[in-house]
Amino acid sequence: MKHTLFILLQNESGALLRVAGLFAARHCNIDTLTVATTHDPAISQLTLVMHGSTALLEQVVRQTRKLVDVLDVNTLSLVGTEQRLLALASSA
Amino acid sequence: MNLPLPTAVPSPAPEAPHPRAGEHLSGADIIVQILVDEGCEVLFGYSGGAILPVYDAIFRHNAQHLRADGSEPMPLIVPANEQGAGFMAAGHARASGKVGVAVVTSGPGATNLVTPIRDAMADSVPMLAICGQVPTAVLGSDAFQEAPVANIMASCAKHVFLVTEPEQLEATLRTAFEIARSGRPGPVVVDIPKDVQNAMLAFDGACRLPIPGYRARLRATAQSQLGEDACARFFNALAQARRPLIYAGGGVIAADASAALHEFATTFGIPVTTTLMGLGGFDTTHPLALHMLGMHGTAYANYAVEDCDFLIALGARFDDRVAGVPARFAPRAQFIAQIDIDAAEVGKVKAVDWHHVGPLRAALERLLRHGRARAAQPDFSAWHAHLAQLKRAHALDYDRDSVLIQPQAVIEAINRHTRGRAIISTGVGQHQMWAAQYFDFRAPRHWLTSGSMGTMGFGLPAAIGAQFARPDALVIDIDGDGSIRMNLGELETVTSYGLPLKIVVLNNVGDGMVRQWQKLFFDGRFSATDRSLRRKDFVMAAQADGFGWVRRLERKEDLETVIAEFLAHPGAAFLEVMIDPDAGVYPMVGPGKSYAQMITGPFIAERGESAIAPAQTADMF
Ligand SMILES: Cc1ncc(C[n+]2csc(CCOP(=O)(O)OP(=O)(O)O)c2C)c(N)n1
Ligand SMILES: [Mg+2]
Repeated sequence: MKHTLFILLQNESGALLRVAGLFAARHCNIDTLTVATTHDPAISQLTLVMHGSTALLEQVVRQTRKLVDVLDVNTLSLVGTEQRLLALASSA
Repeated sequence: MNLPLPTAVPSPAPEAPHPRAGEHLSGADIIVQILVDEGCEVLFGYSGGAILPVYDAIFRHNAQHLRADGSEPMPLIVPANEQGAGFMAAGHARASGKVGVAVVTSGPGATNLVTPIRDAMADSVPMLAICGQVPTAVLGSDAFQEAPVANIMASCAKHVFLVTEPEQLEATLRTAFEIARSGRPGPVVVDIPKDVQNAMLAFDGACRLPIPGYRARLRATAQSQLGEDACARFFNALAQARRPLIYAGGGVIAADASAALHEFATTFGIPVTTTLMGLGGFDTTHPLALHMLGMHGTAYANYAVEDCDFLIALGARFDDRVAGVPARFAPRAQFIAQIDIDAAEVGKVKAVDWHHVGPLRAALERLLRHGRARAAQPDFSAWHAHLAQLKRAHALDYDRDSVLIQPQAVIEAINRHTRGRAIISTGVGQHQMWAAQYFDFRAPRHWLTSGSMGTMGFGLPAAIGAQFARPDALVIDIDGDGSIRMNLGELETVTSYGLPLKIVVLNNVGDGMVRQWQKLFFDGRFSATDRSLRRKDFVMAAQADGFGWVRRLERKEDLETVIAEFLAHPGAAFLEVMIDPDAGVYPMVGPGKSYAQMITGPFIAERGESAIAPAQTADMF
């Protein structure tokens, strides 16, 4: 199952590495990752697409929320064949 | 991601300004001032070019603030290797509950800290590592002794800071302490380029970094209280239970919740087993105590897990040394409850029926109040009788008739003197498990062991750190011949600082624990685990490093008198015991096995239904 994570991140040195490193260390493949600035220059928005079970998603989201620079994590998961969008988890 | 860092914010409503607020100080002096402000009593570290300004500031601080007795207020303890400094800081932290601090130079100094930092992360130990770094002007240029410390440590530590803006230094360091000790504790690394240490800065005295996400989550967790409903559901389930069991982990100790656990367990009559990390969180001599569970837990604790119908996991995370097969762990439990400070641990390994994410002590106190006021006192006397019978029938035991010295007898002999009141550190291997099994642990922070990482070489430096935390306590390192070799250079640190440390090497001439697995799973081919051709003379090594009392014990009949002499010696003492090289650690729940398949070995009675089928588990660890 494909999941999209929206991660709001404080723009600290090494913050992106810590997010990407966490996914690698937890054996969770990132399919795509884009980084965008927000209206607040101190905050970036990461959009990350991964695939895996909902259990894996839930665990990696909880771990992501432990990262000091992470402000917020929201997820969207594509469920079933109807390509229905289902919000699974919300703010940190 | 190269945008400017958010500027430091003043801490909310400072009560009184810092006495040095407004002073112009160097970065290095600011670092020392914050260490003082955070209550740091001792530092562990090895010097080098990139940390020289900080070392100089520490020297000046100590020289200017000598105590009346001539001692330094914040001594800097120098190990043989930075790994030693890291484990000393961790030992200090584990024995005291405070943040342990290591200060090292760039490049190799910092990379030598990787293992202790990961070890502290894996066991949730609050630590701060300050690493010197090459000047900002040459960062990223492959400068002499440059290593990408923030990158390397980012995958090991709770958090990492690389301070490139001198104005951020003060807020960063203060925030690093806050992160290390708050929530689920862990190690924080602060990488500080040399020019930042030399920069002249105005000292604020209170500023911190804005870490709004972390602080908001922390606040939410800290304030989350068990509601009336949740308490009622817990006690309704307990009222249905006949065989409840508390499974307590290291979280009990980290949360300073052992008194609350004692109240809770004794009030409702619920027996307690602890993990390796939880030893001391509940007095192992208490009638409700079942000692340790898991791979090398007591048979009666593991049988209790098999038999229980209600399991309460407190600050414990169902790791593979406890729940090797999660689906078959506590198979008769109708209801599993879990309390943890870390939301990511809830349901990570095993689904639970009830949980609470929050500080453990407050949660236990809340449950206690609710239970006392509302719940009928349950009657678990049949379960208590059942467990008493299990304890009698399946007590720990070993080859008492052998002519060879059994390691378990050595631990028992020491325990007869220390009675659960000594601080015990260990290496990793069989000796670690025998120490866990055969010592009594009456209070928290008396058991220092590398649990999750299982790092050989931990024991000696951790004991040194603990002795600095508790100068008057009896600190004993129970080590293995393999493990102690890993940081043997620290023997000299013991005598250089005049520590009254006691060291016991249980010498089985090799990597006993690995041999035990080779016996079980590799037809006894002892690839690289036999040390009988090695030339090391531990006694001469200890003598060379200035130990005042050194002895090799080889005859069983001398055991009692030698142990008594060893422990009575007022200074540093080193005892090597030549033990039965074939002694095994039992019980054993093999990797990938359930508790029903536990092997109790030749000297502990088994309950039946256990079938040993080795092989096919070779890829389990
Ligand atoms: C740093 C490190 N390397 C390797 C291992 C794997 N290992 C686990 S126990 C063990 C043997 C330990 O030997 P010793 O310290 O003599 O203890 P014994 O089992 O003999 O009591 C080894 C090699 C480890 N835990 N840590
Ligand atoms: Mg050995």
